[in-house]
Amino acid sequence: MPAPETAAPAKLKYAERPEWADVEPLQQYEIANPLAPILYSEEYKDATDYLRGIVKAGERSERVLELTEHVIRLNPAHYSAWQYRYETLVALSAPLDVELKLMDEFADKHLKTYQVWHHRRLLLLLTRKPAPELALIARILQRDEKNYHTWAHRQWLLAFFNEPSLWEGELDFVDTMMNKDVRNNSVWHHRFFVVFQSGVREGEEDRERILKRELIYVKQNISLAPNNASAWNYLRGVLEHTRQPFGSLAAFVQPYTVPLPASTTDIVDLENPPPGRDADLPCAAAIEFLADVYEERGGADNVDKAVELWRSLANEHDTIRKKYWEWRIREALATSS
Amino acid sequence: MNREQLPSTLLTSLHVSYIQNLGKSTDDLAYHLTAHLRLNAIYWGLTALFVMGHPDALEKEDVIQYIQSCWVEEAGGFAPHPGHDVHILDTLSAIQILVMYDALDRIDIPRVVKFIVSLQQPSGVFAGDSFGEIDTRFTYIAINALSLLGCLDQMDRDGAANYIKQCRNFDGGFGRCIGAESHSAQVFVCVAALAILDRLDEVDGDTLGWWLSERQLPNGGLNGRPEKLEDVCYSFWVLSAMSILHKIPWIDAEKLTAFILSCQDPEKGGISDRPGNMTDVFHTNFGVAALSILGYPGLVDLDPVYCMPAHIIEAKGLQKGWKNLQRRVE
Repeated sequence: MPAPETAAPAKLKYAERPEWADVEPLQQYEIANPLAPILYSEEYKDATDYLRGIVKAGERSERVLELTEHVIRLNPAHYSAWQYRYETLVALSAPLDVELKLMDEFADKHLKTYQVWHHRRLLLLLTRKPAPELALIARILQRDEKNYHTWAHRQWLLAFFNEPSLWEGELDFVDTMMNKDVRNNSVWHHRFFVVFQSGVREGEEDRERILKRELIYVKQNISLAPNNASAWNYLRGVLEHTRQPFGSLAAFVQPYTVPLPASTTDIVDLENPPPGRDADLPCAAAIEFLADVYEERGGADNVDKAVELWRSLANEHDTIRKKYWEWRIREALATSS
Repeated sequence: MNREQLPSTLLTSLHVSYIQNLGKSTDDLAYHLTAHLRLNAIYWGLTALFVMGHPDALEKEDVIQYIQSCWVEEAGGFAPHPGHDVHILDTLSAIQILVMYDALDRIDIPRVVKFIVSLQQPSGVFAGDSFGEIDTRFTYIAINALSLLGCLDQMDRDGAANYIKQCRNFDGGFGRCIGAESHSAQVFVCVAALAILDRLDEVDGDTLGWWLSERQLPNGGLNGRPEKLEDVCYSFWVLSAMSILHKIPWIDAEKLTAFILSCQDPEKGGISDRPGNMTDVFHTNFGVAALSILGYPGLVDLDPVYCMPAHIIEAKGLQKGWKNLQRRVE
């Protein structure tokens, strides 16, 4: 939870300000309450008493914006204040660019609060100007690279407005984020969303080429950092989505399933980039993948090979999931016999 | 903290008094900031007490009166606290608490049903309030609440299931809305909602079960997404979904149990997200709930679909085909 914030500079309480004298503050109704005593800071109590008074009177005015901003600064999760603020903005036809600018600051400060993002979405539905939003989201993701709300906001923005110019730089953006942290699952998810889950855009109609591009992309990233669950999940996702057999990747995966050889050749193979010299091998995800390849091929010999690989996961390379690997072995043997 | 000092058994009586005392603390500066979670907090505390076998540890009549004071007459639902706005989150908590206390007759059920049903959007998903934020979490909450009230037939069930289906990702998991990343907590709400709707055919159980078992880290704890830290609350989100999918045996139960127990505060009671951190009633409930699913000795069975005591859900004829680990005896 974000720390409470005091609006600076220190102001008089609403109860002491003559311009608020016409509002009847409404105190919180208190009764005996087993898990929930309420201890308010004076400032918060004063502001929310006046907010309740304003809501009861149904007032829509400039000072409502001042008051709701104050309450939200003190408690950004106060959804009633957000809701009343939004309705007031609409009722007053207030300038939304001013509001969005203020919200930029809130997004920075309270990026983990649902309401901040939802309010932005409501504003964008009114302004219908999504382009500047991408830059703001990018800036915030620089600070908190896995923030769930921020990524979901970006996906909503792209899909909802669905303008070619919005999508244009998206794969470059993915690259920028990937370069910062190749293990960021949010970035891998976003790439899948952009490439496979949001329709086929102009220039992307040749799906064979796209598949090839994505396979090279994920293989290169695995080559740079083999022990990366997100990249292996992406590889599986691409193959399943495009209905490609796992076996088509066997030659690429094999070198990742064994210890790093003492000497490596310097042959550059773009189709099958080898593990780097400092890779931590064997890689559990690669062993799992290769076992799936054998299982896919079928036949007693191949099942035996798969079982051997699963045993090595259960007993050595992924012992925390021993029970899972043992289940895979039982299932495969039961099906093949 | 010294590993050897970490608790290795469930400190039930400490947790009971921790939850009882939550209502008595008067010097907690952050407390006013959590008013928007107040009814949820009572639900978390009460569920933990029921699961630990202390259903009478709170003053029942006080709790019911407090719930009634959170009723918002104009809207027909519950607010987290008197004077706040009605929200579906608090409306479910109120219903769950009243079901546990067998006191549903204290509320106007047709009006509550009307409020919940009014939040369903044309796409099938539910909004949380009139502010309009949507989330598969709210869909689960609506389905859970309506089924507890015996009024599931008053919503668009196919629409809701269809929206959830569209939130399924390439890794088998589910996100908060269409296009959003898979996340353990969202997986729980989507799978549990589909279970209540008898639509588990929309789930690829083996792929999702594998993704969920991948959430276990070498220290035994579970995370919410790949490459994130473990946290006690994910023990419940992950295990509940796995129980519904009959995949709990894929988890290293011993290591996860040890991890949850190590997050207890051995002096003041309560459970935190990770060892040595501040405890809270949210993590206390989900830690205890997860231990129940793992068959920890002495605990009451938890229904993972509703996150409520299993005997209460069974008595209402709502039990689905989940499978927890068998309860161990000490």
